[in-house]
Amino acid sequence: MRENGYAPIADYAVIGDGRTSALVARDGSIDWLCLPDADSPSVFGAILDAERGGSFSLRPTEPFETTRQYLEGTNVLETTFRTSGGAVRLIDAMTLYPPRQLAPSREVVRKVECLEGEVEIEWGVAPRFDYGRRHGRVGLRAGRVFFTERSHALALSVWGAEPKARGEIRLRRSDEVLFSLVAADRQPAILPGRTDTEHRLEHTIAFWRDWSEDKEYVGRWRDAVIRSALVLKLLVYAPSGAIAAAPTASLPELIGGPRNWDYRFAWLRDATYALDALLTLACPSEAHAFFWWLMHASRLTRPRLQVLYRINGGDRAPEQKLEHLTGYRGSAPVRVGNAAVGQLQLDVYGAVLNSTWLHATQHGDLGGETGRAVAKIADYVAMHWREPDCGIWEVRSERRHFTQSKVMCWVGLDRAIKLARDGLIPDRTARWVAEADSIRAFIEEHCWDEERNSYVRAADTRELDAALLTLALVGYDEPNGSRLRGTIDAIRRELGQGPLLFRYHGEDGVAGEDGAFLACSFWLADALARTGRRDEAADLMDELVGLANDVGLYAEEMHSTTREFLGNFPQALVHLALINAAFSIADAQRS
Amino acid sequence: MTLLGALAGGFVGTLVLTTGLRLAQVLGLTRMDIPLLLGTMFTEDRAWASVIGYAFHFVNGQLFAIGYASIFYAVDESGWLFGMALGLVHAGFAGGALVNILLPAIHPRMGTRWTDAKESPLLEPPGFMLSNYGRHTALVTIVGHLAYGAIVGGFAAGL
Repeated sequence: MRENGYAPIADYAVIGDGRTSALVARDGSIDWLCLPDADSPSVFGAILDAERGGSFSLRPTEPFETTRQYLEGTNVLETTFRTSGGAVRLIDAMTLYPPRQLAPSREVVRKVECLEGEVEIEWGVAPRFDYGRRHGRVGLRAGRVFFTERSHALALSVWGAEPKARGEIRLRRSDEVLFSLVAADRQPAILPGRTDTEHRLEHTIAFWRDWSEDKEYVGRWRDAVIRSALVLKLLVYAPSGAIAAAPTASLPELIGGPRNWDYRFAWLRDATYALDALLTLACPSEAHAFFWWLMHASRLTRPRLQVLYRINGGDRAPEQKLEHLTGYRGSAPVRVGNAAVGQLQLDVYGAVLNSTWLHATQHGDLGGETGRAVAKIADYVAMHWREPDCGIWEVRSERRHFTQSKVMCWVGLDRAIKLARDGLIPDRTARWVAEADSIRAFIEEHCWDEERNSYVRAADTRELDAALLTLALVGYDEPNGSRLRGTIDAIRRELGQGPLLFRYHGEDGVAGEDGAFLACSFWLADALARTGRRDEAADLMDELVGLANDVGLYAEEMHSTTREFLGNFPQALVHLALINAAFSIADAQRS
Repeated sequence: MTLLGALAGGFVGTLVLTTGLRLAQVLGLTRMDIPLLLGTMFTEDRAWASVIGYAFHFVNGQLFAIGYASIFYAVDESGWLFGMALGLVHAGFAGGALVNILLPAIHPRMGTRWTDAKESPLLEPPGFMLSNYGRHTALVTIVGHLAYGAIVGGFAAGL
């Protein structure tokens, strides 16, 4: 149910085409779509401002109940509306481009079919260009409704009903209405015909089924793993191979709060988890593309690495507030761009070096230039690990010596040493070994709390941090090490609430609170499995899989008591963590 | 005044015109994409359409340069200013008739004013002075052809 025009975040499902994604609500409204790419301004942004944002609504005119699911093995959504008079099915997809055909470069297809009885449906297409700043012009040409604004155009084709931006039609059993919304940016629009549109929809369904069919996971959470893989595939920006953290911007970490960030960028931090997940899922081409995107995007700044890059590889992401938008349920400010781009976060170096190692274990070769660049990154870690940083959670308070950052620096040097010993990068191991030993000594002396029997959030503090669960994931300590087990228990005890975990309770320089961070819960399941507690891990995993919305998606966070989704949606890191946890538990059960 | 000069001017002028139109696209001033419009007469493959379209546009540029040279010889007058005047006429013809009426008539994949949603697949029809591709398209087209005409006229007159 909508509240003041806003649907709960969990009411959304995502469709996409590998360039951009749309969010479709349970009531049939597309409330988020950026064009032409995921990081472009929105044309449908009602999720961030119900009045000004723009949407494409499509629903019965009478009261209705909804059930929905993705067509099996696809990113094509099926929503069934039941009214007192009958039932209609709505299929939503962003179509994929068949080879060697003149097809629209971006297209949303919505197909409505009456299953039984009689149902009157209504639709309304109201694009608002440039994050709701511009209405554009509306006109009828070539039998289509055109919405134009400067170099952007949207063309709505309707078959089975009148071509209008807003309309109603009564459907009887077997009646169909097909909508195609085509976008053109700086090019003439390609105006599809009905037969071609139907073919493209079939081609799209067939592609997704082929893609998901051969994913290698056999276990009790197969549906969740495959859905997560399909979400990740949507978040891969196909032209470059980058993985966006989420397709949305500024969905709040607490309703009404100011923690609203733009996640339509590729974070280097996610690289470790992404490579791991893609390789174990048998997605070698996506893993390969992502690694090379990583190397290509960082070329301009290496050996210094940015925290995030644009999905097209650009290195600028200036943050601005969109004062004209009210924000999701009044959660202002709405931010686009991300100021974290300028932060020092040392853990990303470890993530990139670990990814390089993962990639090299599959391919066995890096190439001379890449090898030299990787060695320079390791040198940079050796030189800079003693500096305080903003850490994995991108705090906007004073920089600190975050334990997880130091651990990832150690991981980076450890992987560089392994790569050098395999002859894949220039050998400067003497220095790297010495610095890795120094990092470990620092962590063990300054980042351990004897009383709590746990590593702590930052050097010489007593706070805990759920990010420390990643110590088990990256092999910092022996799986049976008492310090690792003690840390897992302490985090669960002090940061946990049921299956959920808060990231930390300390200062981070931003006003307001946030919810429980879902990736941390999956990291916990993963850590439990890797430390031999497979039954606890499996039980937790069961609970977490049950927290997904009705179509298997997760937002970044969840309210610890109301269980309401919070933050950007769907979030890559959560789905990556789910996949990796499922594989870790399966490995633990096999061993 | 030489034919060779006009042909050289046609080559440089088409280069400038094509680059200028592309720049206008990148700057978001227009959705007009001449290579795509021309190339899709021959293939549905977007990439090949652009390649063929660029080549076709260059050939057209040379043919128009010959036409310009004929006029220069006929009236025994050339120079960048006269070329620019011809460029204005050229722009009016291209936007008002050539691309607006003739191209849709022979283009197998382009819509016309009378096309409806039953037919497919279709490129969006350009409209008068290509105004369907954005309000600034007419201006971009005129400026591009003025530059083309000035270059052909200037080269023909030996600069």
